Amino acid sequence: MKRFHYRRWVVAVAVVLALAFTVPVQAADTYKLGLSLAITGPTSDAGNPYSKGVEDYIRLANDTKILGDAKVECPIRDDMYETAVTKRNFEDFVDQEIVLFLSYATGANQALAQDYNEVQIPVIPASMDKSLMAASKYIFLPIASYSHQYVGVAEYVAANHKGGDTPKVAAFIHPSAFGRAPLDDFKNAVAAGLKLDLVEVVEHGKDLDNSALLQRLASKGVQYVLCQTVQSPVATLLNDAQRLGMTAKTFGEKGKITFMGAHYTGGNDLIALAGTAAEGFHWTTSYRLTSEKGPWTDWQLDLAKKYGRDEKTANSHNYANGAMAAQVAVEAIRRTLEAGQEVSRESLYATLNQMSGDKAFASLAAVGPVSYSATDRMGVDAVQLYVVKDGAFRSVGEPFKPKYLK
Amino acid sequence: MSYFFQLMVSGIVVGSIYALSALGFVLIYKSSRVLNIAHGQIIAGGAFIVFALTVWVGIPIVLSFLASLVITFFLAMSVERIFLRRLIGEPIISVIMVTIGLMSILDGVIYLTPFGSMNYSFPEFLPTTPLSLGGVSISWTQLVGVVITAILIGAFSWFFKSATLGISMRAVSDDQLASMSVGISVPRVFGLAWALAGLSAAGAGAIIGNITGLNYETLRAFGIAVFPVVILGGLDSIIGAVVAGIIMGLIQQFAAGYVDGNWGLNGTADVLPYVILLVILLFKPHGLFGTHEIERV
Repeated sequence: MKRFHYRRWVVAVAVVLALAFTVPVQAADTYKLGLSLAITGPTSDAGNPYSKGVEDYIRLANDTKILGDAKVECPIRDDMYETAVTKRNFEDFVDQEIVLFLSYATGANQALAQDYNEVQIPVIPASMDKSLMAASKYIFLPIASYSHQYVGVAEYVAANHKGGDTPKVAAFIHPSAFGRAPLDDFKNAVAAGLKLDLVEVVEHGKDLDNSALLQRLASKGVQYVLCQTVQSPVATLLNDAQRLGMTAKTFGEKGKITFMGAHYTGGNDLIALAGTAAEGFHWTTSYRLTSEKGPWTDWQLDLAKKYGRDEKTANSHNYANGAMAAQVAVEAIRRTLEAGQEVSRESLYATLNQMSGDKAFASLAAVGPVSYSATDRMGVDAVQLYVVKDGAFRSVGEPFKPKYLK
Repeated sequence: MSYFFQLMVSGIVVGSIYALSALGFVLIYKSSRVLNIAHGQIIAGGAFIVFALTVWVGIPIVLSFLASLVITFFLAMSVERIFLRRLIGEPIISVIMVTIGLMSILDGVIYLTPFGSMNYSFPEFLPTTPLSLGGVSISWTQLVGVVITAILIGAFSWFFKSATLGISMRAVSDDQLASMSVGISVPRVFGLAWALAGLSAAGAGAIIGNITGLNYETLRAFGIAVFPVVILGGLDSIIGAVVAGIIMGLIQQFAAGYVDGNWGLNGTADVLPYVILLVILLFKPHGLFGTHEIERV
């Protein structure tokens, strides 16, 4: 009996000691973010590497003590590209008292904009739809909007088209809010003097053969097809154009069609899907690519290697996309702590709004600094034009800001 | 005129792929009166097996294609044996619900693999220069797709017309009780129907994957995209699937070529097949070649 009492005392003392030693660890602050995106379902080919980019950067921030003793957590939930699931995830995250929300799809962000306003939480979406910034003052786009990317390629066409005629273009877009996002700005740019003739807007389906579409466009004299969609339909379009001998070998080649697109149309996946048919495809994004040498390539590949990612993920621009979104969130927390403020939704919102001028955040992942203010919540203003050459995207010229958009 | 013929060739190419994709539906419905909602997942699975064997294992693509037909044949047979065999005699709606569950399970399994969220493409094994004649062109990929489709459909037609097992399947389709009374094993026929459906789906998946690239969402969508073809042809008719597939392919191409982009219209290539389907079903409710059943009460 005496021995039994002795054991109980030992256990009790051990528990007390364990608690005593864990208290200081718990005392270090942990700031919680939340990410909801399509890891499965439509667009998961972009969502999956994006989520890995977020996950790895958060781990890096904790492992390298970017926030000192404080930690950052970012639970990741799959929403299958369904707005209802995104909303449920968001509400659950809010209950868990997250300080910043990392979101994904255009449609879901449009639907949740009012919720963001009510909760007053800063949001960094994967969507780059410009209208989101008008829908909620709490949405901060990481890079240039779809409109900027799309009008950027259009301006390149207008500036580099050879011949005295007005270049004829067709828009090839995803049948969704995401696909239609840049169209109004594009039309406004044309109305404001951008010298282009928009011949047709094509909302594509799941086509196995685009012969009819391509020949129709050719018969209308279309010389440039500007895409705002995902890689798979662009790849089918490029394959069919190659088969029909319609693809321009050089930019603006007479009698042929030059294919171009915005962020989610391009990247290594397009080359994987279209093969040699992707040669000559022009593409804008604000991210730097690992197909070109530079410190950003080392940074991205080191990050991916450190956390055991495969080569395909490591070289994905959507991996960089996710990593940079997490980087901006962590940087906002770091700056808030540095200012001696308590990290909260309000203070992070204020910190992000002050991230401008000499306080703009320079990320290696992008072609320009991330800069926000109360009136401009689009992170990187510049876009970079790339073209597929010998099976890889290569930069064309320097990063630029579209003139027809503010 | 070459424009018209190009559309026609493209329509036949697309239509024959629809026909092969629709065949899996027809084979299962023909023998068991069940619509397999998970057909798109099997189509995608077939394409992924070819890729995995070719790129990851290093087997030549032709052998990989043949191996994928064999693998999906046995996989689909196993699915029938494990999930559906015990539902023989149960209401059809229960069996259809099981195929919906099967769809979710297959989705989950594929999402666990890299194919669920990554894009791939088959290594180039055919000439990239298309065949052209009189301004009409067809790629080698498309041509091989049409030839494989023709071979598979021809083989299935022969099988159902001349092979003992095929005739048994037709007998089961007509009258299960009568078939059992002459010694035909109905469960065995059901298993074979699923296996053949798996085989045809794998063939379709490999062909579609070679054209569009391997994107799971694109591939599995064909399970639903060919539904109008199946209904139009008549759910239990192989020749119906072929004719309806080609009709749908032609309608889509001609709509895209002559209607879209004119008179403010767009996207008619996606809508018109359904409109035509509705009109035909108004006059032929069992589809173009479906069995017209008369029930005496």
